[in-house]
Amino acid sequence: MTQTSITTPGNTGALNPVLEIKDLTVSYGKVEALTNASLTVGEGQIVTVIGPNGAGKTTMLSAIMGVLGSKGEVSFDGTLEIVPEVEHMVARGMTLVPEKRELFGEMSVEDNLTLGAFQRYRMGKRDQAQTLEEVYALFPRLKERRDQAAGTMSGGERQMLAVGRALMAKPKLLMLDEPSLGLAPLIVREIFRIIAELRRRGVSILLVEQNARAALQVADYAYVLETGQIAMQGPAHELADDPRVIEAYLGLGGKHQAMLST
Amino acid sequence: MEAMRILMDEHQSLAAIIHAIRHMIKEIGAGRLQPDFKLLAAMVHYLDAYPEKRHHPKEDAYLFAPLRARTRDADAVLDKLEAEHADADARIAVLEAAVKHYASGAADGFDSFRTAFDTYASFYRSHMLTEEREVLPLIRKHFTAEDWAHANAGFIIDDPMHGTRAQDDEDFSRVFSKLVASAPAPIGFGAGPYKDD
Repeated sequence: MTQTSITTPGNTGALNPVLEIKDLTVSYGKVEALTNASLTVGEGQIVTVIGPNGAGKTTMLSAIMGVLGSKGEVSFDGTLEIVPEVEHMVARGMTLVPEKRELFGEMSVEDNLTLGAFQRYRMGKRDQAQTLEEVYALFPRLKERRDQAAGTMSGGERQMLAVGRALMAKPKLLMLDEPSLGLAPLIVREIFRIIAELRRRGVSILLVEQNARAALQVADYAYVLETGQIAMQGPAHELADDPRVIEAYLGLGGKHQAMLST
Repeated sequence: MEAMRILMDEHQSLAAIIHAIRHMIKEIGAGRLQPDFKLLAAMVHYLDAYPEKRHHPKEDAYLFAPLRARTRDADAVLDKLEAEHADADARIAVLEAAVKHYASGAADGFDSFRTAFDTYASFYRSHMLTEEREVLPLIRKHFTAEDWAHANAGFIIDDPMHGTRAQDDEDFSRVFSKLVASAPAPIGFGAGPYKDD
């Protein structure tokens, strides 16, 4: 590892980058699922990656986290990770809320949350009680259900628990993989309101979403990933107004208008 | 364009509430859910207090009026939409009366409420789609940088993603969260019945 910085043009609002990836490439055998992808997440920013199913969004997150092998450069919090390794990335303050939440269903809500702080506890930090209260303040429903088994909770509650567990690690970078997936519109709105609230609290977020409308509404900067490549990028409000994005993701066939038409 | 982002966001909030009420009506009608009259009344209040009283005036002032100044192409559709905005009090009064009638235990209470809500939801579906499909493209086409600056400033002080507080100190973000918490799963977190503050 060496201290370095990657210059990635585009996200100029990222004055103090938490995450920079450059030319990240992931292959499954002979198939390239991600090709030369570059992006930057600045401190306190919400950066979103939108794109259709199979575009490579989850692959990108997995490679950044070190779950999948990759080629290219991943610089996290100012340090270049030649070969990202998941335990190392977690220890350095990167957390991922996976698409399937990956909770411990037979354990209580509070135990799931407490596990989220395990890495910090192992590093000698003993502020878990305070962090737990902060998470409960953000998600009062979790406090009400603190003794309930996670597996008995509704989809929206499980998503909140998954985000809450990630926040217990006090992450420098929170990565969210499709947080709206499978949730009712009312809950999706609430999840995105909370994501906006996290930015106000200074959390840096990389948000991967198929729900382009919701993601572009909350994000500062956005990348469009198509067939494993970054096809477009720009300030989220500009992409939301780009005719190509409107046609492909926000237009008459999009989720937003489908929702209005329901 | 912040104004566009916030407008779409507000449409999403409105559509989400309408979706939730529709879901509850369906479940109540099927005998799978007991009505929570306070929750229904609170959702109707949200529809009145936020979209009807806050969202529409912003559209009129910061989007529709400047568009009229730039082009006559939108006059017919803007006349229709502004007339619909002006009819908000009557529209919401019908819905509020239907909730009260239903809560009173009247034999036809549920059917009356379902009919009133279907009318309201159908109206809003048409209203929002007209705005998004017919008016917003004209705004994108005709607005000047000055128009956008004016519209953005007007909308951004009232952004639901960043907390929205009415003059009477009703915090709409908090109200929305409370509705989500009280709504039955899977559309909400199922912490109901809804309790007054």
